Amino acid sequence: MAHPVTSTLTPAPNRTRSRLALGRLARRPESGSFLGLVAVLLFFGLFGGSAFMSAAGTASWLNIASEIGIIALPIGLLMIAGELDISVGAVIPAASLTAAIVSGHYGLPDWLGITAALGLGLAVGLLNGLFVTRTTIPSLIITIGTMFLTMGLTLGLTVKIAGSTGVSLVPDPLTKAILGDYLGGMFQVTILWWVVFVIGLFWLLHISPMGNWIYALGGDKESARNVGIPTKRLTIGLFMLSGFSAAFVGVSEVMVYQSAQVLAGQSFIFNSIMCVVIGGVLLTGGFGSIVGIVFGTITFSIVNQGIYFTSMDPNIGSVIIGALLLIAVLTNDTFRQLALSYSSKKGGPS
Amino acid sequence: MDAIKSVLRRPEAGSILSLVGVVLFFVLFGGASLGTLVGAASWVNFAANLGIVAIPVGLLMIAGELDISIGALIPAGSMTTAILTGYYGLPISVGIAGALAVGVAVGLVNGLLTIRTSVPSLIITLATLVAMQGVVLSASVLLTGNASVALTAPDWAKFLFGQLIGGSHQVIIVWWIAFAAVIGFALHKTRYGNWLFAMGGDKVSARNAGIPTNRMTIALFVLSAVSATFVGICQAILFNSAQVSGGMSFIFNAIVSVVVGGVLLTGGFGSVVGIFVGTITFAIVSQGIYFTQIDRNWSNLIIGVMLLLAVLMNQSFRDLALYFRPRRGRDLPREPANP
Repeated sequence: MAHPVTSTLTPAPNRTRSRLALGRLARRPESGSFLGLVAVLLFFGLFGGSAFMSAAGTASWLNIASEIGIIALPIGLLMIAGELDISVGAVIPAASLTAAIVSGHYGLPDWLGITAALGLGLAVGLLNGLFVTRTTIPSLIITIGTMFLTMGLTLGLTVKIAGSTGVSLVPDPLTKAILGDYLGGMFQVTILWWVVFVIGLFWLLHISPMGNWIYALGGDKESARNVGIPTKRLTIGLFMLSGFSAAFVGVSEVMVYQSAQVLAGQSFIFNSIMCVVIGGVLLTGGFGSIVGIVFGTITFSIVNQGIYFTSMDPNIGSVIIGALLLIAVLTNDTFRQLALSYSSKKGGPS
Repeated sequence: MDAIKSVLRRPEAGSILSLVGVVLFFVLFGGASLGTLVGAASWVNFAANLGIVAIPVGLLMIAGELDISIGALIPAGSMTTAILTGYYGLPISVGIAGALAVGVAVGLVNGLLTIRTSVPSLIITLATLVAMQGVVLSASVLLTGNASVALTAPDWAKFLFGQLIGGSHQVIIVWWIAFAAVIGFALHKTRYGNWLFAMGGDKVSARNAGIPTNRMTIALFVLSAVSATFVGICQAILFNSAQVSGGMSFIFNAIVSVVVGGVLLTGGFGSVVGIFVGTITFAIVSQGIYFTQIDRNWSNLIIGVMLLLAVLMNQSFRDLALYFRPRRGRDLPREPANP
């Protein structure tokens, strides 16, 4: 698979260079999502008016984007590797409640609650990874199973321990400042954490050798293993990463809102998949980029929130997202064909 | 011994074991009385509504595809009926026809996009799911100014689609059993069934053997979309009103029922009896738990454990079925020998 960032194409002869540069740009996984983002920005910039462009308007979608974004990144990596993770929808409230029960209900130090919550995310991820690598069952089914499992445990244990389906937690000032603060009174600190995740995972996918492993895994798992890539450990690692990220979002939610609810997080399942697909990742694996996922997340969040700044019925937002998703998958399909049919000039198949 | 083995090799073996296990668990540890459980209407009604959607979803899974747009089509079916009949005052037959037409249209979109592109049907139906949710919500608000619409159905429609038999059992149960019988016959006794299994096993070979895989795929998506709108129609006529929300829980519930029923998501393996039993098992866990002393908050945990056990069992049963050879000595190799 063509490596999007460090691609080293041989320089083209002068007369075809501009055409090739354009073609190369169109073949990058994020080009489709970039066009979508520009279109959506223009649309809501025009119809949403100054309220949408103001700091408060920006904060409204950026806050949403940061939470979905932290989950969409590892989901995207899993999809590049050809896997799916539905269980994130249950890990978010499970982590929120773990932190709230340990630190709020039992009054233990915040760091202990956070560690327990993140540990829970890693444990669910490990379980997913072990099941996926040990059996031939598709990860969609396995993670639906662990989702029900985690949901049931969360609900049952919370009611048993705390006696209700919601638990509150007042974090100490330091934890609040690191995980749950509003910068400038409106921007959640989660946005900065999203940036950290983006940089870390950009390094992982596009700079470290592990990135090529992930692409290879999604392209052809059998061949990947034959060339010596530790496919099982890599798959388990990716599931643990997504469990960890979901738990992180759960922890930061409880620090921001100071309470945790059993029924939260379900919407993240499909929303994160949509962000990733709009961002140009193929569910069939082997194709996608971190920048694309970030563009997809921003596009999704702008449509989701920007619609409230227009005079349109907010429900039209769903129609726009559905249409965007369809356009995205159709163009991704085309871009991928372009990328796959590319043979270093010399008049290959067009 | 051989008889047991041949039973275990059937796709529904796992689902029957799950059902027996769940009922035994509820009776032995939950203190539920078997009579009350069997006589209760709540889980049968739940199973019938879920089952009508689960059967076509299961067929799609046998063919190697997924349809999650059903989550939006159930409210779409009930809202279309309610808006046409209740709000505009058209005859109920127009309302029902309109709702079914919505199903046909969405099913066609799903099917056409699936065969024309290389995009997985999960993503395509995710897009139509979100788009239809938006269309239903905004259409209902734009046309009626409300997110819920009332309707009154004439007696014959009430009798056919919204009756409570014996005051407790919804008439949709009859539809469910009839639907399962028809589809079961089509799947296991006609050539369409063989086509379906062939498609799920290996789509390219199936097409090369002359099976119209594209038309089959489209037909399956239309069937699942129409079934979902049918459930919506029945709900609207039963409750005399329709809401824009609801239906999302059907997505995962239907997939879980189908998987517990022994269908493999990878395609080519499954049975209608299995799906039917899987739906009953799911319904008993989620509704029957009210008749036990078990805290109902644990029902999701039971479903999760059951699903994971079921997939593990299905895998071993399928291995048994695939490695079955007419006996010729006892020490057959467990795996086909490599050439």
